Amino acid sequence: MKKILVVTIMLLSVILLTSAFAPANQETLTIAARGGSHVDAMEAVKGEFETANNVKIEILGLESADLKQKIGLDSVNKTGQLDLIMIDDPWMPEFAESGIMANLTEMGYVEDEDFAAPSRAIGKDPYGEGDVYALPYSGNVMLFFYNKDLFDSKSLSVPTDWKSVLDIAKQMKSDGKIGYVIRGQQGNPIVTDYLPILWSFGGNVFDADWNVTINSPEAKAALELYMELLANGVNYEKNDIVAAVSEGKAAMSLGWPSWYISGADAKAAYAPIPGKVDADSELHGSGMIGNWMMAVTANSHNKELALEFLKFVTSAENQKIEATFGGVPTRASVLTDPELTAKYPYFPTLLEATNNSVVRPRTPLWSNVETALGTELSSAISGVKTVDQALTDAAAAITAIMAE
Amino acid sequence: MKKKTSWYKIILIGILLIWTLFPIYWMISLSLRNSAELRSSIPLIPQSFATEHFSRLFTEKDFGRALFNSLQVTVISLFFALAFGLATAYILSRKRLKITGGDVSLFWILLVRILPPIAFAIPLYLIMTRLNLIQTKIPIISAHIMINIAFIVWFMITFFITLPEEMEDSARIDGASEMQLLTKIIFPLVMPGVASVAILAFMTSWNEYLYGVIFIQSPKNYTIPLILATLNSEQELADYGLIAAGGTISLIPILLFVIFAQNYLISGLSSGAVKE
Amino acid sequence: MSLPTVIILAFLTVFPLGYTIYYSFTNFNMLKPKTLKFIGLSNFEKILADSYFQQALLNTLKFMVLAVILETGIGLLVALLVNSLTKDQKIIRTLLLLPVVLPPVTVALIWRIMLSNNYGIINKLLELIGIAPVSWLNDVRTAFYCILVIDVWQYMPFAFLLIYASLQSVPESQYEAAQIDGANAFHRFWYITIPNIMGGIVLVILLRSIDSIRLFDKVNILTRGGPANTTATITQYIYNYGVGNYRIGFSSAGAIVMTLIVLLISSLYVKRAFQRN
Repeated sequence: MKKILVVTIMLLSVILLTSAFAPANQETLTIAARGGSHVDAMEAVKGEFETANNVKIEILGLESADLKQKIGLDSVNKTGQLDLIMIDDPWMPEFAESGIMANLTEMGYVEDEDFAAPSRAIGKDPYGEGDVYALPYSGNVMLFFYNKDLFDSKSLSVPTDWKSVLDIAKQMKSDGKIGYVIRGQQGNPIVTDYLPILWSFGGNVFDADWNVTINSPEAKAALELYMELLANGVNYEKNDIVAAVSEGKAAMSLGWPSWYISGADAKAAYAPIPGKVDADSELHGSGMIGNWMMAVTANSHNKELALEFLKFVTSAENQKIEATFGGVPTRASVLTDPELTAKYPYFPTLLEATNNSVVRPRTPLWSNVETALGTELSSAISGVKTVDQALTDAAAAITAIMAE
Repeated sequence: MKKKTSWYKIILIGILLIWTLFPIYWMISLSLRNSAELRSSIPLIPQSFATEHFSRLFTEKDFGRALFNSLQVTVISLFFALAFGLATAYILSRKRLKITGGDVSLFWILLVRILPPIAFAIPLYLIMTRLNLIQTKIPIISAHIMINIAFIVWFMITFFITLPEEMEDSARIDGASEMQLLTKIIFPLVMPGVASVAILAFMTSWNEYLYGVIFIQSPKNYTIPLILATLNSEQELADYGLIAAGGTISLIPILLFVIFAQNYLISGLSSGAVKE
Repeated sequence: MSLPTVIILAFLTVFPLGYTIYYSFTNFNMLKPKTLKFIGLSNFEKILADSYFQQALLNTLKFMVLAVILETGIGLLVALLVNSLTKDQKIIRTLLLLPVVLPPVTVALIWRIMLSNNYGIINKLLELIGIAPVSWLNDVRTAFYCILVIDVWQYMPFAFLLIYASLQSVPESQYEAAQIDGANAFHRFWYITIPNIMGGIVLVILLRSIDSIRLFDKVNILTRGGPANTTATITQYIYNYGVGNYRIGFSSAGAIVMTLIVLLISSLYVKRAFQRN
């Protein structure tokens, strides 16, 4: 009896082994992408390209931190496994500096003005003016989300400055509603949630000469306002934000449109993020841009074909199809396409917000800066440190990071 | 000896089971509700019944192939890890490794468990690329063998050293070969240990993620944990229905294995097979 | 048979370990292999002087001590309890093992749903008995303990299984002999059971110490080290400031620091293991 079991197991392993060790070899383009809707959207359109060019497209969907790691590992190979890579916008300086992306301009790529200008700028090295290295694949830009029913019941209009946001939040709170939802989790969430307010106050993490300015009076005022918004609201994780604003439990929050697109029937009204402190102050750009870019790897075995696929997958025609799979278009012509805007009425707002968007500081060390800043902001809002102390510590930590 | 389980034990077991099973209940119940019910306030008892999450996993996320891959990697690596690990543990426990390296190698084996996977993964990736093996499943399978051997050796040693050596000596006098000694006398005695270590090694391999994500180079080779990880991202909402359904399916093969291995989780010495 | 083990382990460990030690003295960045240069001990100096690392180290050690005590202690009690049952042992054993076999990502996400401060089931149940909702994962007072509770939930069964298995190998004859000598239940437990399962218990302590010091999944998905860095761990620190940025030199140094700490802790065990021989 036991012998039979052993034999069965061994036979089973032989069968399993044979398929385990056979490497695949056909003409293939491999794409490393962020898992989720991006993969679904590309899978939906790739067929036409595969038959036209007699090539197989393999898409590796990975969680974003793993995607970044995978790209790094593959870049050490002489001939990479990956032909195309998807890149989160803050990673661009790191990748550009190390030369792991193919120079598309040198390969004869001519810039396409249909992509929104701020999106195009991210794909160039040096930022905004150099050669093209990556094309905008997915066009996320942060928006201001609010519950229209709550606003209508008070006949409020959409706020365009942060003082009004706070006033509305207070008003909502006195009615037993959640005024404003912050996304104050340590790390990327709280930094993403705070920077638009900081920019509205005219502050930034660095000045034009890369001096750290996160302990400026503007930054302190912005953080104080942020904490006051929290006092009139709550601190939620993204799924809860979308649910709370959609169903009218909470009035306002910032967020990425892709949450509302992927969440099948999450409903909220949207507007560009306020860019002023109060009605009379100077207007600043405040909508954070967070595009996903796509590039051809410098060590791809077939760069020309990879570029062709990149153009194919970002074409107007395919962006229209991808939109129905949760893709966010990056082309003006698609974002204003009447057929699509009927279905997705926020697309024109998205284009407007993109055109006025602000990009996170273009340093290869951004992820470290974000980690340190996120830690200190979290300390401030949870009351472990004072606003002054937190921002002074953040400035010290960021200065140390940038000194390398 | 005892006739009836006393009432306080029943209460304790009850509390223990509620504590252990509530999150599991929650996962399974989430996987079976429709998306509308999952949106905000989720009632304790499901108000709807839907299989949409399960069907979406198989149609959109290619979960069937991932199940096969996970099984393949787990079974193959478990087989080798047990074979090598048990033998090594036995030899180390009997100090037959005459070279003074016995203690050193025990310590070295422990290192495998201690070092963060990322420290291993990058050099291993570079080696596997040089050897041109990166497109196959060899790297992922060997990584799984490696992490499990360490665990098996360390755990089984504690079982082997409690065995009375006289028993082996008498068997040897009776003319038993080394192999017979091992399979007929030693292993039956340590079966509870082997069963539990096999369950935990199966589990480690089945849920292993960090090496998987580094070594797997094609969507054809995806294992279940890799697919589950992509269901949670910063830019999109977490699809709790899919996540719960994925967790539920992932539980089934391993549960079957636990039920199978359970049969060996009985006392080797008291089961009557061998008595001194 | 143990030759393959030696070969596999050597192949899979000697090179990686050698590389890791070598890289830890360099500024190696995966994206910029050409700029690699030897920088002596400066990675180590930077790590040890970093207040974020010190906090992560303290958090991790505190977590390790609490998690190991709770998991081993409860696991031992549960093993004794289940072992004393006269029926249904098999089904209860299987049910108790469920948490430990779930994929870690799923565990973290399921708990996130349950702990949500917007309609999470735990807050809802607490509301029924009149307790105000708690912002579990965003509050400095609760976040750390949430992670701890989840870890105990998940890994107590691990301790239970290993200790339970050890209980099965206690020779019945010893109990019978003790019974004849008139030893009471406590004496039998203390002089027979405990010495026989001590190896198992110490092993559980060792393995759980090693694994809990590497705590990453739960923290990364649930809190990212927050709020106010109260749940930051060493692995997460190494990830955020090293691996995530391709700074392999820096992360290798972090890995070595961590390994030395674990070795220090586990050497107590290892010493004991060899005394037994």
